[in-house]
Amino acid sequence: MKKIILSIFAMSLLIVSCSSDDDATPSEPLGAYEDGIIVSGEGGPSSISFISEDLMTSENQIYFNVNNEATGVYLQSLGFNDDKAYIVVDAGTITVVNRYTFEKLGTISTGLTTPRYIAFANGKGYITNWGDPYDETDDFVAVVDLTANTVISTIPVGNGPEQILAEDNVVYVSHKGAYTTNNIVSVINTSSDVLTTTITVNDNPDEMLVDDNGDLVVLSSGKPAWTGDETKAAITKIDMDTNTVSTTLEFSDGEHPELMTYLNGHLYYNLGSSILSITDDATAVTSIPLFTTAATTLYGMAAKDDRLYFADAVDYTSAGQLFIYDDTSYSLINSFNAPVVASKIYFN
Amino acid sequence: MRYRLLLFFVLLIGNLAQAQIVTDSVQHLDEVVLSDAKLKRYSKGYKLSILKDSLLQKNKASFTDLLRFNTNIYFKENGFGMVSSPSFRGTNASQTAVIWNGISINSQLTGQTDFNTINTTNFNSIAIRSGGGSVQYGSGAIGGSIHLNNTLSFKQHFDHTATLSYGSYETKNISYLSSYSNEKFSVNVGLNYIDSENDYKYLNTDQSNENGAFQNGSINANLGYVLSSKDVLKLYHQTFIGDREFSGTVSSPSLAKYEDQNFRTMLEWSRFGTAIDSKLKIAHLQEHFKYFGNKNTDNFTFGKVNTYLVNYTADIDLLTDLKLNPIVSYNYYEGSGSSFNNPNRKEFSTTALLLYNPNEKWHYGLNIRQDVTSGFESPLLFSFDVAYNVSNFYQLKLNGSKNYRVPTFNDLYWQPGGNLSLVPETSYQLDLGQEFTYKNTSLKVNTFYIKTSDLIQWTPNDSGFWSPENIAETQNYGAEATIEITHKIKAHQFSLQGNYAYTVSEDLETDAQLIYVPYHKANINLAYAYKRMSMFIQHLYTGEVYTTPENLSGRFYSVEAYQLTNFGIDFKLFQAKKQQIDLGLKVNNLFNTVYENVAFRPMPDRNFNFQIQYKF
Repeated sequence: MKKIILSIFAMSLLIVSCSSDDDATPSEPLGAYEDGIIVSGEGGPSSISFISEDLMTSENQIYFNVNNEATGVYLQSLGFNDDKAYIVVDAGTITVVNRYTFEKLGTISTGLTTPRYIAFANGKGYITNWGDPYDETDDFVAVVDLTANTVISTIPVGNGPEQILAEDNVVYVSHKGAYTTNNIVSVINTSSDVLTTTITVNDNPDEMLVDDNGDLVVLSSGKPAWTGDETKAAITKIDMDTNTVSTTLEFSDGEHPELMTYLNGHLYYNLGSSILSITDDATAVTSIPLFTTAATTLYGMAAKDDRLYFADAVDYTSAGQLFIYDDTSYSLINSFNAPVVASKIYFN
Repeated sequence: MRYRLLLFFVLLIGNLAQAQIVTDSVQHLDEVVLSDAKLKRYSKGYKLSILKDSLLQKNKASFTDLLRFNTNIYFKENGFGMVSSPSFRGTNASQTAVIWNGISINSQLTGQTDFNTINTTNFNSIAIRSGGGSVQYGSGAIGGSIHLNNTLSFKQHFDHTATLSYGSYETKNISYLSSYSNEKFSVNVGLNYIDSENDYKYLNTDQSNENGAFQNGSINANLGYVLSSKDVLKLYHQTFIGDREFSGTVSSPSLAKYEDQNFRTMLEWSRFGTAIDSKLKIAHLQEHFKYFGNKNTDNFTFGKVNTYLVNYTADIDLLTDLKLNPIVSYNYYEGSGSSFNNPNRKEFSTTALLLYNPNEKWHYGLNIRQDVTSGFESPLLFSFDVAYNVSNFYQLKLNGSKNYRVPTFNDLYWQPGGNLSLVPETSYQLDLGQEFTYKNTSLKVNTFYIKTSDLIQWTPNDSGFWSPENIAETQNYGAEATIEITHKIKAHQFSLQGNYAYTVSEDLETDAQLIYVPYHKANINLAYAYKRMSMFIQHLYTGEVYTTPENLSGRFYSVEAYQLTNFGIDFKLFQAKKQQIDLGLKVNNLFNTVYENVAFRPMPDRNFNFQIQYKF
């Protein structure tokens, strides 16, 4: 009975607040998470944090706070398209939310096996899938109808498709190799949804971006020494008109960068928790760090508006950290609590 | 009281057996019936609690639940029936030793025992020994040890027990126990099979436990043969074959599956002399697991370890009040697995236990052990214990010890990451116990302090993979109380048993409570019996546990405290001289409480189990 009274009371409040909304100006905010930084953590438990653009407020577990349910294990990545955000969880579901309110809108729950990343092109979604990670031949890119939130077709690709980047009507997929190793970038035509070609790069390609010259830049971390078969890491630039490698900048043995971002003509990458940078016309990589971040376990990296952002997974069990640095003085601007195993940084 | 009754029971059987064999010295009795006689004799200054077979018979389905509701031990269970690991006095899962008839059966791969891979059918008793026991029981006996004991009596009998049960989530259990003996020969066999869909509803959601089905079968067979008036030969065997799906969390389903195969066989030859009793044990243990990330495929990873063991022990009466028990043991372990090649380890250990009973009031124990192990150096271990009977109803117990936990195969050989320069974790501890016994009431109060150094922790290293190191240091302290009361009014029998534990377990660097260790845990069991009917109600309180090292409270940082109640009723349908039929109904989670034991892994809603047992 008490519950019913409470809910009537709550509904009446809602009506009152709705009616007062009628007077609001047209420039009302799109949601609580409109302007700011979004940090996702793999967990467990996985979660998503928000920090306002002015760095004045922050909120952890925003998806849980809004929807009263948790994101699953392990939260791999987020993708953004128009006013929607897509939360990609390894276990096989993608949750679609309003990117400004984080209210759940739906899920893509069938047809995916170990999904990793999502990109958008030609009005469709493209999701990399490892399939069974022990099986090197069942990997695919799922094509998603963004209205129905269903997988409409799958494109078989090489082992371990990881990050995915859309440029016009083409998507590029880096193949880090799931539980083993790979050394290709797949190119998919989104008009026909077929694999048009693969480009060979150094071992374990992961992060990708497009630089100011219009080149696709791929970071391959190489095979580390402990595998007993060390290979060199490299930054590879691909001409997207011809889909061929134009430049390969190799690292020395023992140097295996894993993260990369780009800001104001500078390509930033890491060696451990140290940050290094080269310009677009560099002919070799550098080994001289600009600075060392405060991160214990540097696990994610992003850049925007003269700031560099670093996600710290700490010990993989404690709450993660987000560190924000100035991109010219390399001084720490601020730091925030972030999800457990904080890994990805996005901007709203 | 229950404990005392059991002791009496054991002694009685022993006496009868003994009368047919050698002398009537009390010392020999345990040697005949028990494989691990030193548990009783050399643990005078330790808290020892015994769960007897009638209780084990009632809790076939879950060893975890049995201990959770009847002892101070806290369990971290990844959803009902999934991997379950203990925390004994705030220590971690690899710091509790599980001892099968005197030998340790903790996994050589993980250092732990998964309590959901042990079926208690056909163990005659389970003893919980609180406090450090590495001198007697080797690696891992830091928080305490849990002893699974089989007794072989040579009293003439031939009886059978068949049990069938059916319960919620299509849980089916069938078991059969048979025991036969004459003066020369004794055999008992237990077979058990359990199968459950385990698809319980996640309360307050529209979800259920989708990938949680399990089935397992076990065989427990023991043979004893009296060779001569001085020699007894015994063979113990246990097989456990289990197949489990691994359920996911509330927000993500899982397709994983896990298969366990454990085989344990031990041959024991006991020889009884006038001043020396000796015992030679030869054992083979095999643990084997297969993990399928996706149960619909044939891709799996595995680990397998064979353990070969030879153990010689003698019980020597140096003087009438001074006993010496030297033990020499050689263990050879060979492993293989997906994540390492074929490592092996050799371990030679020498132990000396000394017991001095100057009079009825005082018992002193002094014990030392040194291991020589391939690969790393083991510390010299020691322990001492004192028991003092202040009066007929008040006893003081004190023990102190240095204990260890050796690096596991995973710690040493995992590729990549395995660290060959690890040393054993070492721990010092003190435990003061007081026991009050008055008429039908007993109260045990213990306070303890444990400091552990060189704790092995896996952390990410500079090369980009995880590797174990001897880094952490912890201290645990706390208090435990156990009360037992029985009362009888004419044909009405009442009994009450309760446990409470307060446990602080801190990382000495951060002074923060370790994750998954509750400050408070309590349980209470009330039983009532009248003529053919008996019923019980049991209640458990588990305090909040932190799930991240920062000790924050909330959905993402801790698991809420919970209280849980079970109820059961049994009725003797038929009772004749040699036959008996019992019916039983058990209701678990009587009040349909929403609770989790591990974050985001809901536990079952209210569920029922119906059992019929036929003894003949």
